[in-house]
Amino acid sequence: MRAARQVGRSLPRLEARAKVTGRAEYIHNLQLPGMLYGKLVRSPIAHGTIRRIDAEAARAMAGVHAVITSAEVRQIIPSPYYGPAFHDQPILAIDKVRHIGEPVAAVLAADAAIAEAAAQLVTVEYDELPGIFDEVEAATSPVLVHEALKPAGTFADLKHLGGKRGTNVALEFRLRRGDVERAFAAAGQVFEHSFRSQPVMHTPLEPMVALAEATEASVTIHTASQSPSFVRIEIARLLGWPENRVRVRTAYLGGGFGAKLYIKLEALVTALALLARRPVKVSLTMEEQFYTITRHACTVRIKSAVDRDGRITARRCEVWWNGGAYADIGPRVTQKSGFTAAGPYDIENVAIDSVALYTNRPPAGALRGFGIPQLVWAYESHTDLIARALALDPVEFRRRNILREGRPQATGTVMRDAAIAAVLERLAQKLEWGRPFERGTGPVKRGRGIALGFKASISPTASVALVTIAADGSCAVQCGTVDMGQGSDTAMAQIAAEVLNLPAESVRIVHPDTDVTPYDMATLGSRSTFHMGNAVKRAAEDARDKLAALAAELGLPPGANVEIAELFRRRYGMQAGTIIGTASFLPSYAPPDLATGLTDNATPFWMVGATGVELEVDSETGRVRLLRLVTVADVGTPLNPRIVETQLSGAAIMQLGFTLLESMEFDRDGQLKNPSFADYKIPGLGDLPARIESETVAASQHSGPFGAKGVGESGTFGVSPAIANAIHDAVGVRLTSLPLTPEAIYRAIRAAAGDSLAEE
Amino acid sequence: MMPFDLVEPGTLREALALLDPEDSAVRAFAGGTALMLMMKSGFFRPKRLVSLNALAGDVASLSLSPTGELRIGAMVRLAELERAPEIRRAAPVIAAALRRHSNPRVRNVATVGGNLAHGDPHMDLPPVLIALGAEVEIEGPAGRRRLPVDGLVSGYYETVLRGDELIVAAIVPPQPRRRALYVKCTTRAADDWPALGLALSLEADGAAIRAATIVLGAATERPMRLAQAESLLAGRTADAALIGEAGRVAAAEAAAAIIADARGSSAYKRRLLEVELRRALARLLDLPAAGETR
Amino acid sequence: MSAAPRTIRFTLNGRTVAAEVAPQESLVTMLRDRFALYGARESCGQGLCGCCTVLVDGRAVSSCLALAALVDGRAVTTIEHLDADGTLDPVQQAFIEAGAFQCGFCTPGFVLMTRQLLEQHPDPGDDDIRHYLAGNLCRCGAYPEIVQAVKLAAAKRRGAAG
Ligand SMILES: Cc1cc2nc3c(=O)[nH]c(=O)nc-3n(C[C@H](O)[C@H](O)[C@H](O)COP(=O)(O)OP(=O)(O)OC[C@H]3O[C@@H](n4cnc5c(N)ncnc54)[C@H](O)[C@@H]3O)c2cc1C
Ligand code: FES
Ligand code: FES
Repeated sequence: MRAARQVGRSLPRLEARAKVTGRAEYIHNLQLPGMLYGKLVRSPIAHGTIRRIDAEAARAMAGVHAVITSAEVRQIIPSPYYGPAFHDQPILAIDKVRHIGEPVAAVLAADAAIAEAAAQLVTVEYDELPGIFDEVEAATSPVLVHEALKPAGTFADLKHLGGKRGTNVALEFRLRRGDVERAFAAAGQVFEHSFRSQPVMHTPLEPMVALAEATEASVTIHTASQSPSFVRIEIARLLGWPENRVRVRTAYLGGGFGAKLYIKLEALVTALALLARRPVKVSLTMEEQFYTITRHACTVRIKSAVDRDGRITARRCEVWWNGGAYADIGPRVTQKSGFTAAGPYDIENVAIDSVALYTNRPPAGALRGFGIPQLVWAYESHTDLIARALALDPVEFRRRNILREGRPQATGTVMRDAAIAAVLERLAQKLEWGRPFERGTGPVKRGRGIALGFKASISPTASVALVTIAADGSCAVQCGTVDMGQGSDTAMAQIAAEVLNLPAESVRIVHPDTDVTPYDMATLGSRSTFHMGNAVKRAAEDARDKLAALAAELGLPPGANVEIAELFRRRYGMQAGTIIGTASFLPSYAPPDLATGLTDNATPFWMVGATGVELEVDSETGRVRLLRLVTVADVGTPLNPRIVETQLSGAAIMQLGFTLLESMEFDRDGQLKNPSFADYKIPGLGDLPARIESETVAASQHSGPFGAKGVGESGTFGVSPAIANAIHDAVGVRLTSLPLTPEAIYRAIRAAAGDSLAEE
Repeated sequence: MMPFDLVEPGTLREALALLDPEDSAVRAFAGGTALMLMMKSGFFRPKRLVSLNALAGDVASLSLSPTGELRIGAMVRLAELERAPEIRRAAPVIAAALRRHSNPRVRNVATVGGNLAHGDPHMDLPPVLIALGAEVEIEGPAGRRRLPVDGLVSGYYETVLRGDELIVAAIVPPQPRRRALYVKCTTRAADDWPALGLALSLEADGAAIRAATIVLGAATERPMRLAQAESLLAGRTADAALIGEAGRVAAAEAAAAIIADARGSSAYKRRLLEVELRRALARLLDLPAAGETR
Repeated sequence: MSAAPRTIRFTLNGRTVAAEVAPQESLVTMLRDRFALYGARESCGQGLCGCCTVLVDGRAVSSCLALAALVDGRAVTTIEHLDADGTLDPVQQAFIEAGAFQCGFCTPGFVLMTRQLLEQHPDPGDDDIRHYLAGNLCRCGAYPEIVQAVKLAAAKRRGAAG
């Protein structure tokens, strides 16, 4: 019997009941017998050498099991440096601290309150060094964050990493297409602007947490991680063990957004557990998360030449990424986003310089969008300014310039299955762009704006999946994709169910556990639906083929309608046996030429997202009220339309926070002034637009599973510039730094009127 | 948090006896919402906490006298205040202000006494009570005394309460012919502590103002009466020009006292004060919405 | 009472229980460590996100800002109690139907607050919902679906009552 179609169904999440009853498993909840809690002693300064650590008082406190510093860590891990791009981050600070909040020592106790109290008794003496905090200054500063750089060489796309000796540069990505200088010289008009994005934090509501337990022969790490396979490889490397002695498992994640990627607390808990010979759990507080990973602050200088027909003929982008004290995955952010820094436009001459810099701020890494929102902020603000200057309608100006199917993008890779035009047109239609727009009365002015962004997927990356069929015909999928709220469990179940002709609800997803789930690069960058989706689909097909082979072996004619359980019974004489389908998926990739950044195969697929905004600005106070936020995206063919819609609106709401509210505020010494929700404000219900609409265009990713591709980030792309463009439309002022606070807007209004508001 | 002594006396007298005027590490614990934050951050390390949660009677109840005087026991929770029919009748501005105060979970436990005793200048309720002319009743070893709420806070997180005194009630006098309004201005998220709070109470016939009380909260070291704006309005019939003038006068008189912080520069808060006061007056006096937004 | 741990007795999800707690122990920690209840969970630790919501004597509170010792003699209800009889509360059902969560970490708090909202406003308007739930944060941004779920739950409860 043919089950109804499983892909394309708006099936509720498989784990819905567990989540509404509070019973879903998170590592946050995990406690093991004999477990110790680790509390960290953190650096109160941004840059300095450690003169002395005095832990006597803490060690003497009743209930304290141990105080661990790098000296102890090095007894078991001689070179305790980790990281996905550079092996630059010590498990605990060695001789030097490079950012505020850097872990210097760990206190272990069976009672978390005692560990915390004892941590306050550890005194550390520092010799302070001058710090470097600004990304543009870091490019030329004599203050060096690292004396030497150690490329990791782990990932295929980052093999060329070297860093620049004697500088703070971790990576420079260069792209040269055509001849921008000549085009600028010949151009009718040239426009140049600079834009800045502030540092922000992911703030998953389940704060980062990891727990390790060690035996003589192995270590098991329970971690709220988006990348269990990478953790295993990295821990095995640090310990000098084979991978098979390291087991990494996860549960549901209470949000990730890139914060829980690569390696965060895992090396630390492993070292602590090995030293203590007891299981050790480290749970960060919300405050500690701010010291652990952030989103890159970023400065973009962008210059374009436009001809008389309103066609962009050349564009140069210079991008400085504030990577903080440890590279984390910043170099990849720098390179991958560099591919598309010139925007979704068909431009003959392009020059891009994208530079990852070390500074004395907390490390920056991946955050939903992988650098793209910072770039779209720049190029779509810039695009809007050009359209205004040319007195062209912003939609029409984009129409003339967008990349169309079959045209080469800046890297030279030809656009395929990227519905840029369809997305733009649908957005304009939803906003009724051609109709007259109500402008408001009195001090409250209305405006509207759009913005359009795109992204290349991270490549090359592999996913491996297993699909097992038990003797009763029930199906389980074993894969390393981590469900952190994006609904991957449900999507993978739908894919397997579609192939195997089962109801998706009946498919069980085995959560990542490197002892039983095969390799997966990581759950990041909207790659899982495409990569793991393809792997699961093929593994399910493999299982289906093996079932067919079994039927043939039993002498059944092709297409014989025999239940799976019956096949097993006939084969084994009882309810016994297992069929294992397996597949791995690795799309092809051609690395960009080091000198020109050009490649004909930059990505296996493109993500496209656009945002339209209608808003009111109170011109007397600068307060903004969002009336409407419309997201349109190309996600290929949605596997689960309901989940896709919540992914789009959820991403847009998150980016709305990064646009209007959120900012990590540092003082001149690199101290973070607002590491808590009391002063770092994320959007609540009261901050939402009156109307939120999300829509996908009819499209198909031909190489994707059932036409699908990634969706998790597309809703973020256009939000910031669409809002700034709408503010400009309403009150005639342009903001070039995020966040767009009421005060910043009001100040711009006053400045434009030639009556600047006093500084203080 | 480090261990401490936690006691929960059943009577006010016992509670008072457990306090210690000499030791600031001994404190009353009401809803605990402010104290827990300070204790968790290590800012306050108590030696003894005297929970007032077992107290009953007057100190935990609310009443409206026939003359229209409200008596709000110190242990009345903000949520009870928000919903009490007596409040809606006698001083609806309190209920309205509480609607945007903190969040329902905090309001379910935070108390009126804790709110006033905390002395945090950023709070919403004290300026409202000051504008209504409210008083606090305080009990200590020397007996009871009464103070205007305006006189309670002496500075930044400082009150005139002695370490062995407790607030037992807030008393709001009858409000005949008075109209009151509280404006909460947030500048970061919509729901946040105020960048600026503005409490107004007017005695007026139509647009003819007999007396005005205007209190600025959150933007200054302690709630501040805007006396110049008040006297500008008193005895005048309001029109668009007058309320605009009131906004400017208020901004000028508060200028030196307004503090810059993460919620805004001093210049911006002065601007907010000017605009919001003008708009609030327009609303209260039913004048054309000069600059009205929503 | 004193600085030493003391034994408290209270009603937890309908049953009388006892626990030995230290004076500084928070309610959320006690529920986790002594009763293996994980539905209330500490996230912001400051009363701002609502992930640690429980009911004390029927009123929603942030258990990260409550002292465990002070629930002596009171009744504490956690999310785990809502389906004690095996069936979901209409609010939980509505959250599933509306798809009102992603990672689910904030969900128990939203469900409990929604129940309290509906007790006070059986047919809440957008403004009631906004004011009542403004103190719960969802970083996944499932707010549009949460608002739908609240309305759906209100309709379900009215249907059941009428
Ligand atoms: C998440 C959150 C959000 C908030 N948002 C806002 C907001 O938007 N606007 C706003 O105005 N406020 C806000 N607040 C602050 C809140 O108003 C106060 O925390 C609360 O009112 C304090 O009351 P309490 O009963 O909990 O006091 P407690 O914490 O119990 O005590 C506070 C202080 O008062 C003392 N005290 C308590 N009762 C008495 C008494 N009867 N006599 C003498 N001294 C006493 C205590 O010893 C302590 O010093 C917020 C708080 C939180 C936690
Ligand atoms: S953890 Fe208690 S409210 Fe956020
Ligand atoms: S569903 Fe993830 S925080 Fe709300």
